Amino acid sequence: MSSSSPLRRPGSFSLIALALWIGLMVAISIWMAGQAQHWLPVQASNAAPLVDGLFRFETGVGSFVFLGVVSVVAWTLLVHRAEKYDESDAEPIEGNTRLEVIWTVIPLVLVMAIAWYAIQVNTKLGVLGPMEHIHPRNAQEELGGYLGDRLPAEQVEVIARQWSWEFRYPGRNVSSTELHLELDRPVTFRLVSEDVLHGFYIPAFRLKQDVIPGRAINFNLTPTRVGRFRLRDSQFSGTWFAANQADVVVESADDHASWLKQGAAAPLQSGLSPAVGEYADRQARGPAGWPTVVPAPPPQVNVPGSNSLPHDA
Amino acid sequence: MTSTALVPEPLPSWRRYFGFSTDAKVIGIQYIVVAFFFFLIAGLLAMIIRGELLTPASDLVDRTVYNGLYTMHGTIMLFLFTFPVLNGLNNLLIPPMIGAPDMAFPRLNAVAFWMVPVFGFLLIASFFVPSGPATSGWWSYPPVSLQNPLGQLINGEFLWVLAVALSGISSILGAVNFVTTILRMRAPGMGFFRMPVFCWTALAAQTLQLIGLPALTGGAVMLLMDLTLGTSFYRPEGGGDPVLYQHFFWFYSHPAVYVIILPVFGIFSELFPVYSRKPLFGYVYVAVASFIIVGLGLVVWVHHIFPSVAQWMRNLFMVTTMLIAVPTGVKVFAWLGTMWRGKIKLTTPMLFCIGGLINFVFAGITGVMLATVPVDIHVSNTYFVVGHFHYVIYGAAVMGIFAAIYHWFPKFTGRMPYEGLGKLHFVLTFLGANLNFLPMHPLGLMGMPRRVSSYDPEFAFWNVLASLGAFLLGVSIIPFLLNMISSWVRGPRANHNPWNAIGLEWLLPSPPPEDNFGDHVPTVISRPYGYGKDEPLVEHQAEIERALTLAEATR
Amino acid sequence: MTTTPMPPANPPAAHGSGHHASHNLTGFIIFLCSESVIFLAFFSGYAILRRSALNWLPPGVEGLEWRMPLINTIVLVSSSLTMVAAEHFKAKEKLWLFRAFWLLTMAMGAYFLYGQAVEWGGLNFGLTSGTFGATFYLLTGFHGLHVATGVLLMGLMLGKSFLPGNYNGGEEGVKATSLFWHFVDVIWIILFVLLYVWRN
Repeated sequence: MSSSSPLRRPGSFSLIALALWIGLMVAISIWMAGQAQHWLPVQASNAAPLVDGLFRFETGVGSFVFLGVVSVVAWTLLVHRAEKYDESDAEPIEGNTRLEVIWTVIPLVLVMAIAWYAIQVNTKLGVLGPMEHIHPRNAQEELGGYLGDRLPAEQVEVIARQWSWEFRYPGRNVSSTELHLELDRPVTFRLVSEDVLHGFYIPAFRLKQDVIPGRAINFNLTPTRVGRFRLRDSQFSGTWFAANQADVVVESADDHASWLKQGAAAPLQSGLSPAVGEYADRQARGPAGWPTVVPAPPPQVNVPGSNSLPHDA
Repeated sequence: MTSTALVPEPLPSWRRYFGFSTDAKVIGIQYIVVAFFFFLIAGLLAMIIRGELLTPASDLVDRTVYNGLYTMHGTIMLFLFTFPVLNGLNNLLIPPMIGAPDMAFPRLNAVAFWMVPVFGFLLIASFFVPSGPATSGWWSYPPVSLQNPLGQLINGEFLWVLAVALSGISSILGAVNFVTTILRMRAPGMGFFRMPVFCWTALAAQTLQLIGLPALTGGAVMLLMDLTLGTSFYRPEGGGDPVLYQHFFWFYSHPAVYVIILPVFGIFSELFPVYSRKPLFGYVYVAVASFIIVGLGLVVWVHHIFPSVAQWMRNLFMVTTMLIAVPTGVKVFAWLGTMWRGKIKLTTPMLFCIGGLINFVFAGITGVMLATVPVDIHVSNTYFVVGHFHYVIYGAAVMGIFAAIYHWFPKFTGRMPYEGLGKLHFVLTFLGANLNFLPMHPLGLMGMPRRVSSYDPEFAFWNVLASLGAFLLGVSIIPFLLNMISSWVRGPRANHNPWNAIGLEWLLPSPPPEDNFGDHVPTVISRPYGYGKDEPLVEHQAEIERALTLAEATR
Repeated sequence: MTTTPMPPANPPAAHGSGHHASHNLTGFIIFLCSESVIFLAFFSGYAILRRSALNWLPPGVEGLEWRMPLINTIVLVSSSLTMVAAEHFKAKEKLWLFRAFWLLTMAMGAYFLYGQAVEWGGLNFGLTSGTFGATFYLLTGFHGLHVATGVLLMGLMLGKSFLPGNYNGGEEGVKATSLFWHFVDVIWIILFVLLYVWRN
């Protein structure tokens, strides 16, 4: 008994107007896709262009869908409003099977296309650095770097704590709380946590890896832009989680080599850990909140570095 | 068979709502009022959070306090507002919509409700124990959630786990009730494909509760054992695995978001036809899509923890997550199709539905972005996610809940709500929600993590905008509360069908008698939403309507 | 209309004519399905922890003794059969035979619990002996809790069987209890395989 809608054939004026409107929506969507790049930080790793390309594409498609829905809603509100005292019903259109099929199949194809594109990007990101060399960390493993079977990339060990980041360069006897990387050179991180979950996140690189206690995770990337960038803890790790940030300095090969050389010669001193200072202040001021885990002492490193200089992203 | 005159009851005494009652209509109101009480508390916490985030530095409250605030904001909003308010709507709407006198298990129903103030008390009490409340987010990931600096047994985290476990039990008891009621107590003639969509989505949502909650409970039991008994399910130093908890947690908590949004889909599906004066477009597809969402909703949970898992899992769950967009899209298009060539009436409920629909589509788009792993790796655990889920929860779900309250208020209170205040509430809510949650997206893209009590200065601009939006949202609740209280106390008396809607509940007096249709359940003879078709929904409909109108005239 | 009330579901409030059948059994079945998921969660947690462990057995522990538990298993599985027999006699309205087999089932359930307690008492590892100990006690303890609940429910049903007119409105209580018992049984079989049979 269901009545299917007899789709009225639109006049040619309506078709032209519709085509123009769709054209306008396409133009706006393309423009939005371009704008999307401005919402993102500078691209500082070889992963960034891939991620950004996918995001721009999604912004364009998403804008078109959103504009389409809003257009339909706006049109109905303009043209299909009930007259002021009209209490009668509208036409009893219960559905349209062809339309149902169309708006099931097209979205299905669309999301699968996006998924396919995303899998391509994901695979490429994987080729750049598979994030799945996760292996359990036992007490006997030396803190000295895990060579793995990767390229001869620079090896950096990253130790996450409540609340500091320590970086060690195993072959070079340098440790710091400011991460220095060489431009265009692949680097393999070995991520470990001394206590709870942390998140190793560098927005300018578009990369993030959760650091899981009890495991050592290999993580690869290649920085592609000189500058100073932020590393932020992205997995809630307790009281001073928000302050658990460090700087990442990407520099030329020469600068990097000389930094390492100077670092190796420098004596060990307390590295950066804003939590330690804040905790001391808090204790001095007297109780102002609830009990907290005591921050780990600042790592003893060759090069403390800075986390208060202006950063690019 | 002549119908007995369904005499409108005198409006029930307010005292009924404060005691132990097994009447689903009383329990429904109790759920909703208690839920809004906790909504105000969690909302206040949000105001403080946004106050802190007005400036980059941690300068309003201590960091431990901030962490407690954001944890409890999320926990209270989900477990003490969203799930209870939806259960309240289920209690009010399901029995009359299907012609049942009450729920299948009225006493169990009451028990499930009364657990809510109990675990609510536990959560609020956690602010006052020496260790303070739980401070590890509403996810409570170990190992950080197991750190108990004071070493006391009764600590905030302990109370948190207990409260969540009790919430789970209460929800499971409710789910057993709702599912049994819908499966077994429908009116004669009401086959599944003559059942209102709200009941379809309720059935779907409660099925998810039954399947998912026990997994959360299991994970939470192990967390509690680690916290209290020194076991090492999740402690790496004892051989445990913190990521295991994440799987248990999200195996439930992803379906939980469908438990939240499915009833809202049901509400939209009920309301768009009424206020477009047109049948729901593609009713069967909308109904069936609810269960496709159930099936898919159970196999996507890993998208919440992409950065924690191996590559093969990321691709697999990306694909399953993308697929959910399809049945969801079918519903959105159905609502658009319902409005198209309808006779739209922009009443308060309709405004909330339209605003909710638009916000939901936006959230769906950012959801597809989050589903794609490369983008998610960049924006997971940032404000992009916070923006996304607040668009869904506040922008769509809460707006849908408001729509439902305004729409069914006359039926269950017997009074009409004030339209002017309702429209004001809508405008403030729509503006406030968009102002609050849209800026979170650029913040996330720029790399601002979530759950932070301080941030780098470059994030200040969008944070200020977001905070202004939050304060606007805070203000927006005032016309709502005023409207509810004032209308209930002295609003104009409502007749049995003020919106001229089609549905069994509209064939009852406003408010309905305690046992709804009692022994005189009408036989359903047509599909729901028959607007424009001039066919009765039930046998002897004209007589029923006449009797109701007569009784109202002689009131 | 009399119904046999039984935890956790409740009989519906009498609505005058009560011409709708009680839905207790439906509700209970739905509840049981949900309950099985929590066991599934514990099973999968156990399996994942065991598979990924470097050293599964704690120091000083060689493995689990399986002979006594096997006897317990046989007793428990047989108790499902005695329960089926009891229901068979009830269907034939031979109430005393029903009660006898029902009591026998209870006794076997109680023996299982006793056997479990003896096993626990003789173990050389505790709850905090790594994930091995934690999962072992969690699984067997949670299951034991269900066995105890089953025995209690059976006792309740046994008591009610003496009330005149108890089965006039149906025998949902007995059906539900027997369903619960079989459920507990199946869970144990899976548990037994996972804990005692699975060798590395």
